[in-house]
Amino acid sequence: MVEGFITQVLLQPLGIYVVALGAGFLVPLFDRAHRSSAILLFFLALAGMVAIAGINLLAILNGAAPIQIETAGIAPPFAINLRFGLYEGGFVLAVNSIALLGALHWLPSLRQHASALLLYLIMVMGINGMVMTRDLFNLFIFIEITSIATYALIGMERTGSVLAAGFKYIIATSVASAFFLLGTIFLYYLTGTLNIDGMVAQRELISGPIGFIATLFLLTSLLIELKPYPANGWGLDVYETAPGGIAALISVGVSAGVFFALLKTLPLLDNYLSSIAVVGGATFLLSNLIGLKQDNARRLLGYSSIGQMGLLTLALAATVQLGIEAQLPLVAGGLFINHLLAKAGLFWLADLVNRNSTRDWSVLAGRPGRLLLFGILLSALVGLPPFPGFWAKWVLVTELAAGGLYPWITVVLLGSLLEAAYLFRWFTQALQTRESDTPDTIRLESLLPVALAALLLFATGYGMAVQLESDTLIMFLPLLAGTALWLLDGLPGLLKSLLMLVVVAAGGAWLTLDLEGLNRIFGFILVGGGVLLSLATQYRSDVRKGFYPLLGILLLSLATLLRAHTSLEFFFSWELMTLSSYLLVTLGRGGAKPALTYLLFSLAAAYFILAGFALAYAASGSLELAALGDTGSSMGLVFSLLAAGFVIKTGGLGVHIWVPGTYGEADDDFTAVLSAVVSKAAIFGLLLVAAQLGIRSDIGLDPAYVLGWIGMLTATFGALMAVFQEDIKKLLAYSSMGQLGYIVTGIALMSHLGWVAALYLTVNHFLFKGILFLAVAGVVLRTSERLMYKMGGLIKNMPFTFVATMIAIIAMSGVPPLTGFGGKWLLFNAMMEKGWYWLAALAFFSSAVAFLYMYRLLHTVFLGQRKLEHAQLREAPAILLVPQFLLIGIIMVFSAYPKLLLEPLSSAISPWLAGNLVWDGLSLHTHLGYWNAPMIMGVVAGVWMIPLLFLLLMSLTLKIQKVGQFNIVFAAERPHRPEDTHFAYNFFAHYDRALGFLVKPRATAFWNSIVEWSHTLAASLRIFYNGNGQTYALFIVMYLVVLFLVNGGLQL
Amino acid sequence: MIKRIVILLVLLMLAFIFVNLAASYSEQTSLSALGHYYVEQGPSELGAANLVTAVVVTYRGLDTLGEVTVLFISAAGVGLLLRRTRRKDDHEDLEQGDRAEETAIARKPASEIVETATELLLPMVILFGIYVFLNGHLSPGGGFQGGAIIASGTMFLLLALPESHISRLMIAITESLSGFSYVVIGVLGVILAGGFLDNRIIGLGTYGHLFSAGAIPLIYVFVGLKVGFELSAVLDRFRKEDSGPL
Amino acid sequence: MSFFGDLQISMIVLCSGLGLVLIGLWGILTQRNLIRMIIGFSLLDTGIHMVMVSIGYVTGGTAPIINDDVPMATAVSRVVDPVPSALVLTAIVIGLGVTAVMLSFAVRIFRARRTLMIDECTESKW
Repeated sequence: MVEGFITQVLLQPLGIYVVALGAGFLVPLFDRAHRSSAILLFFLALAGMVAIAGINLLAILNGAAPIQIETAGIAPPFAINLRFGLYEGGFVLAVNSIALLGALHWLPSLRQHASALLLYLIMVMGINGMVMTRDLFNLFIFIEITSIATYALIGMERTGSVLAAGFKYIIATSVASAFFLLGTIFLYYLTGTLNIDGMVAQRELISGPIGFIATLFLLTSLLIELKPYPANGWGLDVYETAPGGIAALISVGVSAGVFFALLKTLPLLDNYLSSIAVVGGATFLLSNLIGLKQDNARRLLGYSSIGQMGLLTLALAATVQLGIEAQLPLVAGGLFINHLLAKAGLFWLADLVNRNSTRDWSVLAGRPGRLLLFGILLSALVGLPPFPGFWAKWVLVTELAAGGLYPWITVVLLGSLLEAAYLFRWFTQALQTRESDTPDTIRLESLLPVALAALLLFATGYGMAVQLESDTLIMFLPLLAGTALWLLDGLPGLLKSLLMLVVVAAGGAWLTLDLEGLNRIFGFILVGGGVLLSLATQYRSDVRKGFYPLLGILLLSLATLLRAHTSLEFFFSWELMTLSSYLLVTLGRGGAKPALTYLLFSLAAAYFILAGFALAYAASGSLELAALGDTGSSMGLVFSLLAAGFVIKTGGLGVHIWVPGTYGEADDDFTAVLSAVVSKAAIFGLLLVAAQLGIRSDIGLDPAYVLGWIGMLTATFGALMAVFQEDIKKLLAYSSMGQLGYIVTGIALMSHLGWVAALYLTVNHFLFKGILFLAVAGVVLRTSERLMYKMGGLIKNMPFTFVATMIAIIAMSGVPPLTGFGGKWLLFNAMMEKGWYWLAALAFFSSAVAFLYMYRLLHTVFLGQRKLEHAQLREAPAILLVPQFLLIGIIMVFSAYPKLLLEPLSSAISPWLAGNLVWDGLSLHTHLGYWNAPMIMGVVAGVWMIPLLFLLLMSLTLKIQKVGQFNIVFAAERPHRPEDTHFAYNFFAHYDRALGFLVKPRATAFWNSIVEWSHTLAASLRIFYNGNGQTYALFIVMYLVVLFLVNGGLQL
Repeated sequence: MIKRIVILLVLLMLAFIFVNLAASYSEQTSLSALGHYYVEQGPSELGAANLVTAVVVTYRGLDTLGEVTVLFISAAGVGLLLRRTRRKDDHEDLEQGDRAEETAIARKPASEIVETATELLLPMVILFGIYVFLNGHLSPGGGFQGGAIIASGTMFLLLALPESHISRLMIAITESLSGFSYVVIGVLGVILAGGFLDNRIIGLGTYGHLFSAGAIPLIYVFVGLKVGFELSAVLDRFRKEDSGPL
Repeated sequence: MSFFGDLQISMIVLCSGLGLVLIGLWGILTQRNLIRMIIGFSLLDTGIHMVMVSIGYVTGGTAPIINDDVPMATAVSRVVDPVPSALVLTAIVIGLGVTAVMLSFAVRIFRARRTLMIDECTESKW
């Protein structure tokens, strides 16, 4: 008997009910004995529910048949039956596990009242029932059980606003339930059964006006329970006011049950698939738009919850519409588990932080552990790797593309971007320390459920990766390395830096040394260059919590990016790079805000890339990167989308506004990596796309020509904007933007010579921008200033830095003898060859402008009058200088023997674009002329040597009088603003009068107006949420009426 | 005013939908397949003369267990919402104890007629309730109906004697144990008969007798007790709902 | 019967039920007092119960209880559908539960805010 009980009841899915109900009924009795015995019973029951679900799901995953549960010993349809298959098992296990964690989180409140314990238990059982039952009326009962338990738990707090919100919730869901009941009874009238499978089998009987109206009632009810825009104010109010414990369970548990109810009744609602998709899509897009205006943390989570359910609904309808139900576990399952874990975690965290306004979340600032948890949950919600939402969105978008449902791709990506905007704005607010903040009082152990949710996100994300990809270990390598480094984050800074360098060098070498062609070249730049520049991180010995693990992830993800064979692998590494670099930027002193801009533009770029890959998959049926070219008629669109994504990431004109802030505010040594190395990933992407698509003759040259212009305009305006910068790092930032513009143009040429020029410029930019940013890091370290007019005369204190800067500037500007000359020469040659004369003229102009700002950098920082307070400054630390001089060495070698560089570049290109460089000894020939680098080197050395020797001679023979720095007589006047006395302040004022109109911040103004406009739109879209329960109820009835009219109700 | 017009319009549209519904409806002239099976097989299969009871307790037993659960959590929810605010002693949970009525507000006594009638009728009402749930498998009625009748007796009592004392402890024990027993009977169905909530765990007995239809009368006893006590508890909680901070 | 012509009994019940649903909704949507809204909900609920009962009616049928008047042999052609009756029983109990919880919310709202007007409970919005 006991054995029968265990094997036939307890271990069966039915055991979930038995355990929950049995324990639920006994809780009051146990409570009479002792409250703690009731709590023990409560947890035993919840754990039992998790275990039963887990055991049975495991059996099914191991190949067992789905379990059919009959009741009353009578076969369906005459008695109620339940089913526990793969979908049911997954949902039930997920909901029960999150309920168990939620109970842990909410225990301090739950334990106050025995009835709260039993209500919680039975609520969870109700959700289980909604998932498992196969009987329509029984489904109604379980919906009601769940609802009533929810009502009571909402009302537990008994403050005025919770009660008001709760009442609205009851009214709304009661009306929805009434609709459900009406639909059910008329379906029974038509089919003579209440069994859902029975109804599906007799689908043809559900027709005519009654069939139409009955299914309409059913559909409306389920949709309303999923809280569609705009009939969802009642849900938002509860999310805002109710305790996090119950809000989390409503958001992830109850919604999951209702979603599953929709899933299982969908065969009856197949006439409404388009309506369902529209409702889901609109809800996702609009609630995320309205979320932009929200600054209450809990209500914000509400908007996000509603949006996620909308996305899930859209995904469900679209999957069924496209007939790809086999993908449902990945798409709906992935989105669901992602939402479940991330949203529950966030609701709990909101409970613990206990601050209403998102601004007040700044109490978390300076708490790395808490911020890490917060960041993981947010990243998951936005769909960043490696979390389940990433994989699910990938499959969803590619399948939408394959099915030709392009508008939905726009909705999904735009909605995701909006969601990222408000979620990461919130994160940004949490990062910024404010003086008024009192430290939070969260106890460490109370974070356990949140941490477990975050951990499960990683686990499920990996699980999904295994389903989709074979090479998961390599894809996850950066994360593994990052985790290992993070575990060692308590070590001293220098040691961590060293460990990171070792890990990245070893891992990077292993990942990239066997690559060939273009990938190999980029391997040297991205990984080798990354390690070389990261040597400089040794100049700071402070702890830098989180910095080294993130840098490790970033550099290794660059390595895996190069190894990617499929677009999914590429996109995974790409997003990982985005996320880790974003987090690194936030670590800078004022980095939080610019990092947000950086992230949003990066995500927009990523979504363009995703759309491009999805379209390519749709056209070619393959995820291989090598198959990008087989995309037939959509080739032009694929190329444009991918190129747009990569250009945003290079800071192309118009979408460049993230560049100055990001480069300016990131940590100084990291800026060097960001500009010299990370930006090259976008160049790699662009080349990849160009190689597969851009060079194809059937694509036409128009997209490439446009790209050429974008590149050159970026170069010109980047240089112009750099000219008028006072901030030394922002000057270099604009310079980077401009230099990348040349490279983009070089790629756009789609010719052998053009690409050689582009690659050469890429290498060169890495070399000199690395030096410049590291040199500036030294200057900033010593002076603690970034405004150039506050410096001057540093040549005396920092001679090595000066030399490095000067060489870098020469290498950058196109003058002989250093590498920059070759780059410009190649580029001009390639443009002439192609006949792009206008562009060549523009390139000439912008080179001249670039010379202006570089001259200023050198002049105002190192030459001129030294500031009094800078008299005692020392040279930059040796560890900063070492990488600079290593780079100078490389520059010198390549300057003297460019063939060493050009030959590998040329041969890497030749598989794509035929052609080779014509050498005559050591001089390179084109149809325009030749370039003999060693000779130029010799000539220049000679030209410089003669005056130098002459001056040395003079100094030995003539008597030199030294002039003291302050041996200057001022005129009678003293200006008001001290900086006005500095020649370097507003250095190029005269050019400003001539050209300044060109660099008015139009792009910034444009993007600001976009933000403002979205906020206005959001404000007008949320007027429906007036807080009045009757208005909310009216919307629900209207939903029915509108669905009736839209689906042709008048033609009955 | 505009809002009213909108509401009117929306409801008119809903009325239009309903008209469509009613216009296509025609009364059934024979039983549905499901109904046909129950009427034909119910008496012999389950031994219940009242076919609604057969459907409620066995064929759709899971619904009924859910229904009992709904009542249980409603009562718990009402209790949770209307619990007394803790006053002086924070350690003692007043809502738990029977001493809740310590602070009960004095109420106007009922008239003599009501009091006398209650004293006269109460035993009969309760007896009738028990009769109704015991005979649920044979005649109209059942656990819910019987329970509701018992609760109406409580209502009488509360109207006539507002100060009367209802033991929370007794209520808690009865509702817990009867609910738990119901689950146990359901589980026994799996082990001893065909499935969860199968009423054939004991012999079906002689058709038409009180002790027949297997576990149905037993289940109805538990349901009747549970419903009666739970509804009484709900009534009692509304009565004792404290006035709260003004 | 002649008064209604050949109007079917169940049609009368059905239409009254649907009418009650409309009246109940009107109450929920227009009455600002919480208690009146709850009454509206009860009307809506009752209306649905009537609709359910009407669906189960079979022309000329009697209660589905086997006894001397309705012997087992002829029961199939003489009784109404027991299923909707069973469903209604469940639905009534659920409606009762919801109403009880609604009422306790109303009581608590009155305690917390000294008002029963739904349009004075609008502090969470947007």
